[in-house]
Amino acid sequence: MLDALWEGLLLILQWKPFAFMLVGVLVGFWVGLLPGIGGATTLALMLPFIYTMQPVEAFAFLLGMHSVVATTGDITSILFGVPGEATTAAIILDGHAMAKRGEAGRALGAALTASLIGALIGAAALALAVPIVRPLVLTFGSPELFMLAIVGLAFIASLSAQGARGMVRGFLAGGLGLLLAMVGQDPQAGVGRFTLDTLYLWQGLDLVPVLVGLFAIPEIIDLAVRGTSIAGDVPTGHIRRGALEGVKDVFRHPFLTVRCALIGTFIGITPGLGGAVAQWMAYGHATQSARNAEERKGFGAGDVRGVIGPGAACNSKEGGALIPTIAFGVPGSTSMAILLGGFFLLGLVPGPDMLTKHLSLTFSLVWTIVLANLITVAVCVLLLNHLAGLTNVAGHRLIPAILVLVFIGSFTSNSNYADLVVTLVFGAVGYLMVLAGWPRAPLVLGLVLGKIAENYLYISVARYGAGWLTRPVVLVLLAIAVAVVCYPVIQAWRGRHRAKHA
Amino acid sequence: MKRRQLLVAAIGLAAASPLALAQSFAGKTVTIIVGYKPGGGYDATARLLARHLPKHIPGGPTVIVQNMPGANSVIAANHMYNVAKADGLTIGTFNRNLPIAQLTRVEGVKFDMNKFAWIGSAANESTILAIRSDLPYMTFEELRHAKEPVVIGSTGPGANTHDFPLLLKDLVGLNFKIVSGYSSSADIMLAVERKEVDGRAGSYTSLRPFIDRKLVRPIVRARSTEPGIDQLPVDENFAPTPRAKAIMALRSTPELIARPYVMPPGTPAEIVKAMRDAFARAIQDPQLIAEGKKSKMELEFTSGEQAQKVLHDVFSQPKDIVEEFSKYIKFGE
Repeated sequence: MLDALWEGLLLILQWKPFAFMLVGVLVGFWVGLLPGIGGATTLALMLPFIYTMQPVEAFAFLLGMHSVVATTGDITSILFGVPGEATTAAIILDGHAMAKRGEAGRALGAALTASLIGALIGAAALALAVPIVRPLVLTFGSPELFMLAIVGLAFIASLSAQGARGMVRGFLAGGLGLLLAMVGQDPQAGVGRFTLDTLYLWQGLDLVPVLVGLFAIPEIIDLAVRGTSIAGDVPTGHIRRGALEGVKDVFRHPFLTVRCALIGTFIGITPGLGGAVAQWMAYGHATQSARNAEERKGFGAGDVRGVIGPGAACNSKEGGALIPTIAFGVPGSTSMAILLGGFFLLGLVPGPDMLTKHLSLTFSLVWTIVLANLITVAVCVLLLNHLAGLTNVAGHRLIPAILVLVFIGSFTSNSNYADLVVTLVFGAVGYLMVLAGWPRAPLVLGLVLGKIAENYLYISVARYGAGWLTRPVVLVLLAIAVAVVCYPVIQAWRGRHRAKHA
Repeated sequence: MKRRQLLVAAIGLAAASPLALAQSFAGKTVTIIVGYKPGGGYDATARLLARHLPKHIPGGPTVIVQNMPGANSVIAANHMYNVAKADGLTIGTFNRNLPIAQLTRVEGVKFDMNKFAWIGSAANESTILAIRSDLPYMTFEELRHAKEPVVIGSTGPGANTHDFPLLLKDLVGLNFKIVSGYSSSADIMLAVERKEVDGRAGSYTSLRPFIDRKLVRPIVRARSTEPGIDQLPVDENFAPTPRAKAIMALRSTPELIARPYVMPPGTPAEIVKAMRDAFARAIQDPQLIAEGKKSKMELEFTSGEQAQKVLHDVFSQPKDIVEEFSKYIKFGE
């Protein structure tokens, strides 16, 4: 196996695959920066180019592109509060708050370093998982996937403000998210739900316009109302430093980084949960690292740990997501489905053979993820402090440009004017929530997990009756969910306890 | 409206001679509107065609693909019918089941399939049902007498993963337990692999790799066929009554025009003819065939006239059959 690992590296280091990877990275870089244009669409557009390539070259190109999209998506999210990708929304909460405090450089440094480490851990996990991939994925049936969604929803407890009032608000927002996930034709009876008699809502709410509205619009309003630059009155000199500080931050919280990267990898491996989930679970986990109520309040107001968590998760999942695609020929996401098309184009049949006969090619995929991320982060680090300077540009110059990006980004999800309406409606919802102090993260988590939870619950009951409740992994996950819900409560109690004795 | 008619008339005149036809396309851009997001079969087919059509259209226009997803592509079809100009520069491709949607009076449908200017269909699709190879049932007869219920995974009503086994269960009486809600056919495949379900229905193209790998075994197919599954029994032949047979036939009819391509109603006949010829030639193009083979897409052109005959079959069903049919089948996917 070590031979194959080495061979894989040599494969990718030949000049042609390497050159194609660089082209891919360049494309992915821009796609990530622009909100709305997702990795999946770009992959579909680029697929025809691989007809004449060798398998290693083709995957270096496609995967190189795909694996940096999430990395540069973080940049847009942090600088402008506009989600660069649907998978990089969670990083806005603390990342953009830091940018407003004049610490954009530090936030970017932390996010990129975390995502590099995440990518490395994800790739390592992919490499290590090769021998045990099949039993691992097959353990997770529909009942287990349903419970995983429940564990995800349990993180609402961590994503809400502390105290009874905060919790209630968090779970209400989560409930609203679940309701929003019900919009569209249901998959059991084919009945339209909450479609408001429009064709647009038949297939449910699209995540991109909702996220862009929910997060970007309130920031734009805030920026316009303040009438300053994003970083306010913080002097330029200060802003243009700090990237290195962010890099150091990641190493100050090594275990958090690793844990969040593992969460991302795990979600990636599990087909059906989707990339948008990993970041929120990682963010929820990051907030659990707060030692007392004081620290907990810092989350959402620019705690660097809230940047490291989702940063580490959003790239580590890519390594994981390749696993079901390669080992079973079953893609875990749209991007992976398109990548699977790439396999066929090249005359490869993904499946058990990829783990034996074509093992070195599989490892070349791992190396592509590693190298593409190394290169991107290296390039970004050089640019970071300049990028951070953008937060010093006066708001009235920046807002028109951001608005154009926001609306084009939403519109590209369906090329339908209703996308813009959704953006504006959720913009209003987001703004009101911010004003009234309601957390937006639980709403998104509910929206992202609602459909998954509904479908897998239905399948579990239809297939196993009540028997699914007694499956061992289900019980373990249930215990984890309970622990996740109780954790903030215990945390708060311990905080009070300590305060009393101090 | 008057202006549009004038425009159409003008184009019609201009397009009367082959030279003029070339002029009406030269330097122009032809847009193929796809009713789905990138990543699926409809999109992949359109992109393959877009790469090879320019050589075969007079005047060699640029051909691009635009995605207009939503409502199982009803939005794209409505756009083609009501908004797109009938000047030959817009082509639409959408859900093959839209004729069913129109037939069963689905809300939101604002088109008449018969009035589109049909170029034809770029491929047909064959639905089959496959079950896990480790199950004891080797033939349809054996499956029919299964004592234990056979669990079939599905993505939901309106998809062939759901409707095909549903009719086998309700009309032929197979001992199926249909579990729906999987997010994609790939997702069901994984459930097959972990033995959560015993099998699934779907297009032969999507199931073939798993049949080759001996994970599943094909058992029965619908009427539309292709090389490799000719020998499989056809579901309709097991129908107990003529009524049941008609319902099963109606479900599978659109599969004969599985990748429909149309232009807006009122497109001048010369342009429609030129486009039909272009499609027919492009699909025979050795380069396209080679590319298609690589990506496991085999195209087969069904001309517009033929497609309209298929439509006629759908729309000439007696009312009671349609009513019965809509009890089982919901429009979707």
